[in-house]
Amino acid sequence: MARPTYGIVQAMQSLRLYSPSSYRLAAPALRRQARGYATETGNTTGDVQSSSDLPPTDLPSTEPPATELSSTQPPSAAPPLAEAPPSEIPPAVKAAPEINFDRFNAQPARIVPASPSYFSGSPRFIDNVLKLESLQAKYASLPTVGAGEAPRMAWFKLAQFRDYVGEPVPMKKYKSLLKILQRLNRIQPEMVPGEVRSELNNFLRPGNPYAAQNVPRTVDENGRARAKGKRKESTAVVQLVEGEGEIMVNGKSLVEMFQRVHDRESALWALRSTQRMDKYNAWITVKGGGVTGQAEAITLAIARALLLHEPGLKPVLRKAGVITVDARRVERKKPGHVKARKMPTWVKR
Amino acid sequence: MASAWCWSCLSRLRPTPRAILPPPAVTPRITSAPFHSTAVQYANPTKKKSSLVATKYRQGQVLKRKKKAKTERARPPAVGERKALRKRIVLSNPNALEVEGMKDLSPETMVDSRLRGSVVGLPVPMLERLRAVQAFKPKQGWSIFRRPGTVLRRDTIEMGRLFEKISGDGDAPEKGKVIKKIITGMKGSGKTVHLLQAMTMGFLKNWVVITVPDARDLVSGDTAYSPVEGSKPTQYVQPNAVSALLTRTVEANRQVLSTLKVSQKHPGLSGLKPTSTLEDLAKLGFQDAAIAWTVFQALWTELNATAAAPGMENNFEARPPMLVAVDGLAHWMTETAYRDADFKPVHAHDLIFVQHFLSLLKSGQSLKNGGMLLYATSTSNNPSNYSLEVGLNQLAARQAGIAPTSEEYPQPEAYSNPNARVLDLFKPATGKESALELQTLGGLARDETRGFLEYFAHSGLLRESVNEEWVGEKWTLSGGGIIGELEKLGRHVRTAAQPVAQPVAAAN
Amino acid sequence: MVFILGVNFPERNLLKKSLETFFGVGNNTSSRLLARFNIHPTCRVGELANKQVLDLTAVLSDMKIENDLRREVLNDIKRLKETGTYRGRRHALGLPVRGQRTRTQIKTPVRLNRMERRL
Repeated sequence: MARPTYGIVQAMQSLRLYSPSSYRLAAPALRRQARGYATETGNTTGDVQSSSDLPPTDLPSTEPPATELSSTQPPSAAPPLAEAPPSEIPPAVKAAPEINFDRFNAQPARIVPASPSYFSGSPRFIDNVLKLESLQAKYASLPTVGAGEAPRMAWFKLAQFRDYVGEPVPMKKYKSLLKILQRLNRIQPEMVPGEVRSELNNFLRPGNPYAAQNVPRTVDENGRARAKGKRKESTAVVQLVEGEGEIMVNGKSLVEMFQRVHDRESALWALRSTQRMDKYNAWITVKGGGVTGQAEAITLAIARALLLHEPGLKPVLRKAGVITVDARRVERKKPGHVKARKMPTWVKR
Repeated sequence: MASAWCWSCLSRLRPTPRAILPPPAVTPRITSAPFHSTAVQYANPTKKKSSLVATKYRQGQVLKRKKKAKTERARPPAVGERKALRKRIVLSNPNALEVEGMKDLSPETMVDSRLRGSVVGLPVPMLERLRAVQAFKPKQGWSIFRRPGTVLRRDTIEMGRLFEKISGDGDAPEKGKVIKKIITGMKGSGKTVHLLQAMTMGFLKNWVVITVPDARDLVSGDTAYSPVEGSKPTQYVQPNAVSALLTRTVEANRQVLSTLKVSQKHPGLSGLKPTSTLEDLAKLGFQDAAIAWTVFQALWTELNATAAAPGMENNFEARPPMLVAVDGLAHWMTETAYRDADFKPVHAHDLIFVQHFLSLLKSGQSLKNGGMLLYATSTSNNPSNYSLEVGLNQLAARQAGIAPTSEEYPQPEAYSNPNARVLDLFKPATGKESALELQTLGGLARDETRGFLEYFAHSGLLRESVNEEWVGEKWTLSGGGIIGELEKLGRHVRTAAQPVAQPVAAAN
Repeated sequence: MVFILGVNFPERNLLKKSLETFFGVGNNTSSRLLARFNIHPTCRVGELANKQVLDLTAVLSDMKIENDLRREVLNDIKRLKETGTYRGRRHALGLPVRGQRTRTQIKTPVRLNRMERRL
């Protein structure tokens, strides 16, 4: 079994095509400097040489037979290589120096890229995937939480990630990476290992938007409670202060704004149903939509502002139906339909 | 019969008109079937009622519709009937409850600040005179109460005090003063009713009340007009409108006018005797529209006379102060529906009638015996008028203490081309005497609101108990006590949804 | 009844509409006529003073209206036909004269345009 293998290795060494140990040699280098992608000779050799002080200590221990094979055999293979060329090649062409197999581990015959995915189309991306996959495999046994409970992370958007790695990563592949990230993120927060945490942090958008917690609104130092409300196409902003029931809408009085009593009543329903009508003043700006939408946007905004003043009113307001958001909007018209749903009259022929 | 469809190849067979086909009874049984055939065709012929008679060829479907039965329509209303119905003013509702303890508007009550916020009735003998000057408008809700009444608000009481001062006794300092006011305010804020109150007070104080109930009538091109000879630029007189004004004035002020005698010489009026009263003078005008304007001028000089002409002193009496009330001022600031001989629109200021009343606003003692000029703007059927807007803004700014030279003083926008004559009306007064004022009517105060709504409750229109909270709510809903809105709410309440009773106490 | 240019008009009729009954007097002319004699737009026939009636009659009789106008129009059409113009031919054929489509909606020319045109 050992014989034929030996013969093949010898043959390949003679052709300077392949060095079986080169990959194994490259591996530790990769481990140490993840993003050093050597392409220039001098630079790389220097790197490898500088790092060559360390690898001999662990490399032989992991792969003793291979190193011995390669290091012991060269002398027999070298002579034919050195002798053959002089006969054909003119004297101006100098032969390559002899391979020093003593130092072969430290200085391979050809430059070996630091990353195993160097020759793939997107080495950095694949490196990231490999690393994450190894992490995932390593910590697969850690308990996880449900997707809903996991801390919300703002991962890179695809465009941002492409900038980050500097490679044209396809959407689908990035999604698969995101899947790994999400799986790692679901590890129970108390038990997340440090390396996972630091690795995950590499994939966050700068200035994590979910990091800032919503500060609960309160009444400001001037006693104003500010709240917004929406309904249909209208948006209302209400500034509610304690007062005597004076209401201004867009700088006009309520009557000028809403001719219909019903609209006025519905706009102030939050105050009316809690009998607070004469206890607050409101300064309202409302825009967009029509009369009904504006009135009911004001309803919602006033109710929310009132809750800031008196949180205890919530059940009453809930019952009065003024803090429920009406999320209905006009349904869009579709092609082939007369309106959103209406179809043209059906004719047999 | 055979189906119209070939069920094997799903193609449509050409239907044979049944009339062409032989009657089914005589269809011979053919042994070799044609290509398209059905079993039905060769089944025993079904019994038909009259198999021998070929069925009639099918006729096209005709939409049969019942013709509308012509209903006998009632005769169309007579000419002017619908307008009369539209303009009808009902001042009493026998179904409404009588409000007990309601006071009448009187010289005492109109200045009584203790009555502020309460509704006082208009004196019944005065109603005919108020109708004569067209003080009531159709949609003011008079018809829902037993008798017409108005709420005594702050502005009313202030106005009452003015009336008292101007007509004052003896040598009061304010006596004979002229107050000139332009009354503005939101829709429904009670401008017209404010004029009504002023007219009532004028009648109570025995003033002469001259009103233009709707300024639009003069400019809408609905009364005759004719140019004044030799005027430059051409001015126009509206004889019928003047005649109507004289009629109104005489009907409303008969008591006063019949006691005053002619004291000046009027060479233009031949039918006038030195002993005739001012009533007789005015009557000349509405008997003959052609001289109506001359008569009006004569009447005006008589009413403004401070002393009799020489030779006529024997029966001269001091003339009472005058109240001039105009409603819908904005119509007088635009071009009218009239055209001059060159087919150019006539500006309202070229109408001599309008010009007369507007010139009273200019600085100076325009009413020699004192009195009040109340010119109200209107918000219904109102022409938008930029010049007037600017003028009123300037007036308001001056009243707020902004000097006309200051930068904050409102100026017309560049290229907006406001009418110079309109702006001229609102120029700052040169004399110290009686400058033009702007009075903006707002909403009622809370206590006034309460009094007003209690009046509804007493009249049986409201079922709710009128308490502070409820009043506050209505006050807010009416945009801060806008009285017209309150009146709507007062009527509205009977059907309005009520807020569900909820445990507010628990929430606190 | 008021007599204007040989026609009797009921007193309650609007003067403006009454004037417009004359061939050749339309909205514009009648409004201008009213403005010229300072008559308000909603004036009724009965409200006219005698002088105004005479004035109106005098002005109307000077204007080219009614039969004079009809004759002029007919003469114009006749001239078009006689000179053999396209427009004259269209008049004679009972077709639209001013380049309208003839595929549909030519009821009016069919009714009006003919050899012996009447107005």
